[in-house]
Amino acid sequence: MQRFLDPAVLGAISGLDLVAKTVVDGFVAGLHRSPDFGFSQEFAEYRAYSPGDDLRHVDWNVFARTERAYLKRYRGETNSLLTVLLDASNSMNYTSHGVSKMDYARFTAASLFYLAIRDQRDAAGLIVFDDEVRNYIRPSTRQGQLHRLLSGLEMAEPRARTDFAKPLHHFQEFLRRRGIVLILSDFYESPEKIIRTIEPLRFHGNEVVLFHILDPKEIRPDLGEPVVLVDLETRERLEVTPEYMRTEYRGKIDAHIAALRDGARSAGMDYHLLVTDQPLDGALREYLTIRQGRN
Amino acid sequence: MGFLAPWFLAGALAVGIPVYLHLLRRHTTTPQLFSSLMFLEHRTQSSIRHRRLRYLLLLSLRMALLVLLALAFAGLYVNRPVASASGDKLLLLAIDNSFSMRAGSRLADAKREALSVLGDRNPAQRGQVLAFGSQVNVLTQPVVDAAALRAAVESVAPGDSRGTLGELAHAVRSIAQNVRAPIELHVFSDMQKSDMPANFAELALPEGVSLALHPVVKGTVPNWAVESVNAPGEVWEPKKARVQAVIAGYGTPAATRSVTLMVNGKTIATRSVAIPASGRASVEFQSLEVPYGFSRCEVRIDSADALRADDAYAFAVGRFDPQRVLFVHDASDTRSSVYFISALAAAAESAFAVDSVTTERAVNTQLSPYAFVVLSDVASLPSSFENDLLRYVRGGGGALVAAGTSSARRSRIPVFGESVLEPHYYSREAERFMAVGETDSSFAPAEKAAQWAGVRFYYAVGVDAANSRVIARLTDQTPLLLDKKIGEGRVLLLASGLDNLTNDFPLHPIFVPFVEQSARYLSGTERRGGSRAVDSFLDLRTAKEQAVSVEVIDPAGRRPLSLKEATSTSSYQLTQAGFYELHLANGRQDVVGVNADRRESDLAVIPDDVLSLWTGKPSEKPSAVSSTGPETTHPAVVPRSLWWYVMLLVLAAAVAESLLASRYLGVHREEE
Repeated sequence: MQRFLDPAVLGAISGLDLVAKTVVDGFVAGLHRSPDFGFSQEFAEYRAYSPGDDLRHVDWNVFARTERAYLKRYRGETNSLLTVLLDASNSMNYTSHGVSKMDYARFTAASLFYLAIRDQRDAAGLIVFDDEVRNYIRPSTRQGQLHRLLSGLEMAEPRARTDFAKPLHHFQEFLRRRGIVLILSDFYESPEKIIRTIEPLRFHGNEVVLFHILDPKEIRPDLGEPVVLVDLETRERLEVTPEYMRTEYRGKIDAHIAALRDGARSAGMDYHLLVTDQPLDGALREYLTIRQGRN
Repeated sequence: MGFLAPWFLAGALAVGIPVYLHLLRRHTTTPQLFSSLMFLEHRTQSSIRHRRLRYLLLLSLRMALLVLLALAFAGLYVNRPVASASGDKLLLLAIDNSFSMRAGSRLADAKREALSVLGDRNPAQRGQVLAFGSQVNVLTQPVVDAAALRAAVESVAPGDSRGTLGELAHAVRSIAQNVRAPIELHVFSDMQKSDMPANFAELALPEGVSLALHPVVKGTVPNWAVESVNAPGEVWEPKKARVQAVIAGYGTPAATRSVTLMVNGKTIATRSVAIPASGRASVEFQSLEVPYGFSRCEVRIDSADALRADDAYAFAVGRFDPQRVLFVHDASDTRSSVYFISALAAAAESAFAVDSVTTERAVNTQLSPYAFVVLSDVASLPSSFENDLLRYVRGGGGALVAAGTSSARRSRIPVFGESVLEPHYYSREAERFMAVGETDSSFAPAEKAAQWAGVRFYYAVGVDAANSRVIARLTDQTPLLLDKKIGEGRVLLLASGLDNLTNDFPLHPIFVPFVEQSARYLSGTERRGGSRAVDSFLDLRTAKEQAVSVEVIDPAGRRPLSLKEATSTSSYQLTQAGFYELHLANGRQDVVGVNADRRESDLAVIPDDVLSLWTGKPSEKPSAVSSTGPETTHPAVVPRSLWWYVMLLVLAAAVAESLLASRYLGVHREEE
């Protein structure tokens, strides 16, 4: 099933819902667990009965054997609130192979929505932004929510530039209820500014995860000769040489990733680097890990 | 400063290639989209600038490389004053010791002139002495030692070779190239007309060489000479041998001369001959009575002219018994022996005596006295005779087997030993006859391949040629002439007859040399005796006779070959007139008479205007220049080629370019 998580394979699938289903089913099958994972209440522990406890929770079988009353406790199931913040700036359009960063982000978001709504019965919402908020779908568990979210993803075409500061106060308004906030972006901004901008989301009790989406050629560029590079967002031109890209650029991008990861963790947020030629299960696993930790 | 081949400068246009590659082609890069230039800011710009500078360095190196290559090919040179080129002038004395210098006191006069020039020399001036005939002998290196130079001049001995001024000019050009100094060339010679090269340009002297001519004679001197002698090298019947001599007069009045034939120093016959003015006359001696073995013969005239050395012509004659040849044929075949014997008699001047016998009579014949045996299309051969013949061949004898129509009835060719495949009767087929298709001209009996062209073969027997060497094939690839080594001897097989029935071979002129060469090949004899010209070469051994010692005794009785040369050298140049005695590698002895080139006998001198042209002085007689010092002074500059330095620069530029290019362009290969 691993091949169904391969972005290149998913790129050939037309509908996002089918992509999401393929990914999630493949992912879940890979877990070797029940497809109903997390839905039914799970046994957690036994606790001695104390006066005032609900007798309905007493395990009478144990009482019959030991003549002692024990309460059977279950791990409580609560519905989480998932909000995906999707960066739809022009830089997300970059690709060095079949799947652009935007496609990859869409696949990831769709899969997360599918997993959250269909499997976990979580409320899920979407905010598409570039230098301002372009689309907002309120988190909900209503009928047809998945369809709305997938439509929102379909319509999220990259344009304009990334600016975290400007749409931030909108996020504050939208994210009043605590939940899980996943930010999918290539984060072409200084790490300090990104952390400073996103950190307030954490104050509301949200679990914030930065999904840093990069193309493999952005991390390890491979130029055969000097070329003129054009910035997708600013249209600025710059001639660069292969050895610069292989030496100084790599050092800079590695430092940027490291700074972003360290900054996020020190601010209590999770950071996850997603490379567009890697399978999508990393993001799903991260989401489930966080969700489980919240329960 | 100039260029020897300025057209090569057009190659410098190739500098456009790196300019195009570096400056024009670089800017055609298609822009590529990239997510963000966030990490490609100021450092990147400076990197590009830096790189551009480095690329410009690489570009300039490549352009320099191409320009330098063009300069190297164009032959860049600078003119340098001769005086400053390398010190003082070299006094070069060239003394003619060719055969004509034996006339009168020419050589002594030349040496005296040379010593006089040496006496006038500045004691600090370097001198060098040459002697020239057909070759130039360097007698000294450039030295200032007057005694050594005088000794070298006095040591010049008269030679027998032909003088060539072209060789002298060539040697002077070489010396001028080596000494890199101005040269004062003095030529002491009789300025014989025949010394001039065919092309006057061969006399050209390099710049910086001044020429002074010292003719030792004023004008043409009359001279009679024995120009040539036609005599056999080997004689079997002295009474049949004839000697013809041509007596020539050069610049002479009409006269009657007495011509004498001498054998081993004894006068055999004398004739008188009238020679027209500056003309030729021939004289013939009807017999050549020589004893057995080699005789040293001469034709001599009684001219009393200045050059006495050409009044005699030496030639050697060997007298031997004719070798016997056994010709075996069927009783019914009377034609083949007639053709063969006639051809052998015509070609080899009775060197071979043929015993023609039928197969029946051949049975008890002793084979050892025979030089070789011919089997002419025998239908049946007594086995005892065939065994004797085979034993004879294995012991070193030779046999010629002609396989005519009788061979078709046999399964095997006698003596030759190979099986008969099938007879080809071409006259019964559409072609009617077959011609010779290819011949191995390296083989003596098939040497004159072109003359085989008209011979028609109506019949040929097919023979298995796997173990033999095919010398000639018919056009249908049927082997016609085959050679096979059996033991120490050889067998030649002609896959057709000698009878003018199976072919018309005996009627063609090629038949005579074929029979002669085959006879000589099978009997192992070669032409001996006779006469040669000075400077010609003698073959001492064949390729198969390596490491066998040979011996050469020159006219003075010396052995000029060292022991090492005697076992290795394959040819020897005859440098003296007289009789050379040779002991060749094949064990045979030979004597040859060697005579000077008779062009030296014509003592006509080079016209003054030609000498003036050579010296570069357009005025009066060159004889007036004698001992007056250099008359010709070529421009006092010499071109000095900068080729060597330019190529050094090319090498340096190529190395630097390689280092830079591998450093700049090879970065990404070592990555990853």
